[in-house]
Parts: sequence; structure tokens; C-alpha cells
Amino acid sequence: MITLYGKAASRTSRNLWALEELGIAYKHVPFDYLKGDTKMAEYLTINPAGKVPALVDDDVVMTESLGMNLYIAHNYGIGTLWPEGKAARAKCIQWTLWAATELEPPAVGRLIEFNFKKEHERDQKNIDTLAEHTKWPLNTLDAALQRSTYLAGAMFTIADLNVAAVCEYLTRTKFDLTPWPAANRWVSECLARPANQKVNAMKMAA
Amino acid sequence: MLKIYGSVMSRASRNIWAAEECAAPYELVSLDFRKGEHKQPAYLAINPAGKMPSIVDGDVVMAESLAINAFIAQKYGKGKLWPADEKGQAKCLQWTLWAAAELEPVAYGRLREVLFKKEDERDHKLLAELAERGKPIVGVLDAVLQTTPFICGSQFTLADLNVACVMEYMVRSNFDISPWPKTAAWYKACAGRLGNMKVQEMRAQAMKVA
Repeated sequence: MITLYGKAASRTSRNLWALEELGIAYKHVPFDYLKGDTKMAEYLTINPAGKVPALVDDDVVMTESLGMNLYIAHNYGIGTLWPEGKAARAKCIQWTLWAATELEPPAVGRLIEFNFKKEHERDQKNIDTLAEHTKWPLNTLDAALQRSTYLAGAMFTIADLNVAAVCEYLTRTKFDLTPWPAANRWVSECLARPANQKVNAMKMAA
Repeated sequence: MLKIYGSVMSRASRNIWAAEECAAPYELVSLDFRKGEHKQPAYLAINPAGKMPSIVDGDVVMAESLAINAFIAQKYGKGKLWPADEKGQAKCLQWTLWAAAELEPVAYGRLREVLFKKEDERDHKLLAELAERGKPIVGVLDAVLQTTPFICGSQFTLADLNVACVMEYMVRSNFDISPWPKTAAWYKACAGRLGNMKVQEMRAQAMKVA
């Protein structure tokens, strides 16, 4: 059984979402980096870098939230989160790396400005630059979603989950997605899924 | 057959390295970004974002260099670049994302300063900041390499290839990895592989032509 480390209000939420989508049994250890849980010896043997999330699944010990989701999908979600067919699987890997390299840097930049700083501490020049850097990836995403309902075809897969989980940083920081109607519709639909709603409730409860 | 679109001077080099490691038959469709060939309709049909590299392999059309390598490893490198066991496969995914999320922002930031700017135009403050940020990141890799020669154990896998091709940016931008002897030895072993030597040869050839 998978044991997932990290509190819901962290990148761990991405993995909680994937596990909830699959409806498989898992154990959640909500270590809180703000309380120093992740710097304790108990955790450092799992991830020496002291970052969350991490997962343990028998002899598999692994980090990197988006990579972990590929592992979860690949091993527990064949035919659902991990689609049948080489072409769709290639898209899942592609969009996962795209989320990490293209979208996450500006998106997490916004989250830091809006969620970790008080209003008067915010760097408006940085916020404007990040908004510019967000437009290009959104153009790419929108174009893809004009061609198909979901990123790897007609079905919701790990590609959608991993990209939507990063898009959530944009909606949470009130970034206006309406200029990208296909992406906007898709983001709303993905984030409204019951599994993600459950994760949101876990975030609030903690 | 696997078709790799891009220039050996670009991130496509990562995919050429992977294809060479797997001895996968492939065709390199060279695109010259200085001539804007990656913005022509023929290529935009393959990758609407107009970025390199992309691959086409049967009905598979895909982008993102490190993701492409995961595909190449799974299709052509089972038991070699793509380990046979679940544990090794998990590590390959983890380190691929780590290369993209942790190492590449720092490494590419440095490369951009050094490669695209003349010495007197470089932002030395930025280079120093990126070097500082790079140290704990290299430390994470070095800790893993204390006990095994390669990331997943005794064998060179996709995890090593994807991390090494990003580490190359650190080395090319004069970041000194010698304070991490295990990482330095690992990098030398990776960079010296025949697959990468072939890439370096192709680069030297491309520079001669240009």
C-alpha cells in the first residue's frame, strides 16, 4: 500500500488528488514543513532533501510530486489515469514535463507573491513579468484543448491532472483565464472533479 | 521509425543521446532555429508551440526533451535505459522531474549568461546567485551517488542520462563540480559514454559547417 507524506496544503495535494481519482487505499502522513516535521530524522531517511511530498510503496521510495503521479498512474491507473495506447501515454509524459518546465515557474512565482506576501510587500514589476510569462504556456494549452476535450484525448488522464494542479495556482491567485476559453473551461471542469473537491476539503480541515 | 526534429545544438541533443544509447534506428530532421525553420507551418503542424525538439514515431507525436527520453527509454531501452524493476522505473521518473524542476532552472540560467552573452555583458551577480542556488541541488545528487555509481544502482539508466544532460549546462557554464567528487566521477562516466560522444561529434560537425 502507498504511504504518502506531506500535508494536504502543499504539493502533496497533487498526489492526494491522483490517489482519490483512483479510489485506492493509501495511508496519509500529513507532515507539515512549517512545523519542521520534514526535517526530522524519521523523514530524512525517506527524503534526505527534506521536501514534501514523498511516497513509499513497498521497496519504492520516491519524490517529485509530478513524477510520483506518473508512478501512481502507471502502476494503479491503467485504462483510467494512465491511458491505453502509446500515443496517449506519450502525451501524459509530455504534459507532465511541460507542467514542470513551462507552467510551474511563472505559476509558483505568482503564488509566492500573492499567498506568501502581504499586500504591501508584493513586487508589482515581478507580478507583471510573471503574467507575461504565463501567456505563452496558456496559448499552447488553449490550442491543445481546442483540438481535443482532454490533453491525451477524449478521457481525463494524468496529463490533465498534473497540468490542472499547476493551473490551480493561477485560479487561486485570481489570474484571469477568460482570454483562453478552451483552457478556462477545462481548468474549471478538472478542478471541479469530486476527487479534487475532496482534497480541497482536506486542505481546509488541516 | 523514430524521427527527431531539432538541431544537435539544441535540447534535441538529449534525445539523440538517448536514441544512440538504445541503438534505436532514428532519423534526425535538422531544423535551423537561426533561419526560423521551427516557426514554419510544416513544423508547427508537429509542435504548434514552435519549440524544439519534437519527435514523431508511428502515431506518437510529442514534445518536451526529457519526456521524449522517457518515451524512447520505455520503447527502445527496456532492461537498459528503462530498468526492468518497478523501483528503478520510479527512480527514473523521479529524477527526470527533478532534472526539470530543480536543476534545469539554475543550470539553464547560467548557460544563457555564458553562452549567449560576451564576457563583459554577463550579469556576474546573477551567475554567482545561481551558483549558490546550485550548490544544495548538486548536494542532493551527490548524497545519492555516495553509495552507488549510478542513480538507480550499478547501471546507467534514463535517470542518469536526463540529469547528466542538464548537469552539462552547469559544467559548460564553468560551475566547478569538483567539491562533489562522487558527482564529478559520475558526470565523467556519463559524459564519456559512446552515446554522448556521438552527440559531441555531431555538434563539432555542425559547428564546422556553420
